[in-house]
Amino acid sequence: MIVDILIDGLIKGSVYALLAIGFSLVLGVARIVNIAHTALYMTSAYLIYVGTKMMGLPTIVSMVAAVFLTILLGLLIYNYFIRPIQEHEAAMLISTIAVAMMLQEVFLMIFGGHYLGVNPLVRGYLTVLGVRVTNQHLLALGLAIIVLISTRFFLMKTRTGLAIRATAQDREVANLMGMNVNGVAMITMAVSVGLASIAGAIVVPLVTVEPTMWMHPLVMMLAIVVLGGLGSLEGSFVGAYILGFSESLVVFMVPMGSFLKDSVALSIMILVLLIRPEGLFGVSFEEER
Amino acid sequence: MLLDVSNLTVCYDRAMLINDVSLYVEEGEMVSLVGPNGAGKSTLLRAITGLVAWDKMTLKGTAEGDITLKGNIVFDGKDISKTPAHEIVRRGLVHCPERRRPFKEMTVRENLMSGAYLHMKKWDVQQELEKVFKLFPVLGDRLNQVSGTLSGGEQQMLAVGRALMSRPKLLLIDEPSTGLAPLMRKEVFNKILEIKNLGITIMLVEQEVASVFSMASRSYVLSSGKIIAQGKCSELLEDEMIRRTYLGL
Repeated sequence: MIVDILIDGLIKGSVYALLAIGFSLVLGVARIVNIAHTALYMTSAYLIYVGTKMMGLPTIVSMVAAVFLTILLGLLIYNYFIRPIQEHEAAMLISTIAVAMMLQEVFLMIFGGHYLGVNPLVRGYLTVLGVRVTNQHLLALGLAIIVLISTRFFLMKTRTGLAIRATAQDREVANLMGMNVNGVAMITMAVSVGLASIAGAIVVPLVTVEPTMWMHPLVMMLAIVVLGGLGSLEGSFVGAYILGFSESLVVFMVPMGSFLKDSVALSIMILVLLIRPEGLFGVSFEEER
Repeated sequence: MLLDVSNLTVCYDRAMLINDVSLYVEEGEMVSLVGPNGAGKSTLLRAITGLVAWDKMTLKGTAEGDITLKGNIVFDGKDISKTPAHEIVRRGLVHCPERRRPFKEMTVRENLMSGAYLHMKKWDVQQELEKVFKLFPVLGDRLNQVSGTLSGGEQQMLAVGRALMSRPKLLLIDEPSTGLAPLMRKEVFNKILEIKNLGITIMLVEQEVASVFSMASRSYVLSSGKIIAQGKCSELLEDEMIRRTYLGL
């Protein structure tokens, strides 16, 4: 049981971390609250389903293709549905909700409301401390951690990463450093959608693919981002594991109680906010001008 | 002429912040721009380095987005009035903003590196860093400290150091002494003089008229968006009306 919870919590936490960090990145850099973020995660899952089940492509190939196509779609959405109204916060929020609903309806129309699945990338299982863990779960965990580490490396050690962090802290001064802020926002959007689609690719063999699969991760992701402190990547990371583990604890410990997982996660968020209103790693947004 | 601004007008909504301003800066000199609070000094700098145009572009369609920007700005022989802010830096016109504004969550090193953002590929950044440390030894000691934890004076030095990393031909410094203790002010002004002696042209915006006039060769006096006096600092000081009304001396 403990090992089950540990593995499951680690996977959930890592996937939520991928989602929440991507979401926080565009929130910080371009001030975009992208509700369609997890809808793009779902898009990636559907594309992989199309690739493997309908076109018969090898799983790896369809995963890579799905990630790139989703990034492309994300950039199109950014360009046509977000950027024109970027400074108009309410309109932008509504626009991204509309995009998410649109994607949901499109998938419902094409695939119906059926529960679809994708074959695991690897078969077999390992026995960890007397508990069977499928290789697919271990692979998912490994991949998620590798992507998280590379993201950190990208942000902390590369020139583009520096520009992204600078823009997140002060857009105007970033301009004065010669950083093309709009270009940086575009790159950040690509990275963010990329992380969401990779998260989709990682979990797709473990979950059912259906048109409302974006809802639960969205709720969790928003809770994580608020719990960790808006705009803080460390906060998103830590928050993701806290809520990931709490979710698996509920699912494994409360018999027939998995419907409680959202409410437990949100309760944790509210409790933390009562004690620390700015979130765990909260940084108050600096005034811009 | 390194910088030649002619007939610059800036309106935010119906408020005319800069009213038909013309000024120039010759290579190698230090020019100061003084004037009371709200005269439009910072707006003038923001218009020159493209930030007003950037505001105009990003705020389009919002309540604050009604911005008019007219006039010609020629830097180093080329018209830059249509050039985006991040391209203007590349030409060597570097703006060290008001209130220092370091990237507070980044270390001193990362702040300096972001100043060298445009040049990381071409130039030896380490060499540039050494130059900045020579000028501001304190930054070298604090290299891995998060810049939000620096003192006000250190943050100002970081801001100037960061601007120097962009390799300016003309450096616009906006109110470097604000909020600093008198001793620290003096040190900051000394450093700016040292930078000028390195051959970098400087335009200094300040409220602290006495110190600035002892350093700069020429000065412009800005009031309510208009240039109401200009000339050699010594001559401006002789004009009783300007002296009392605008310089508070």
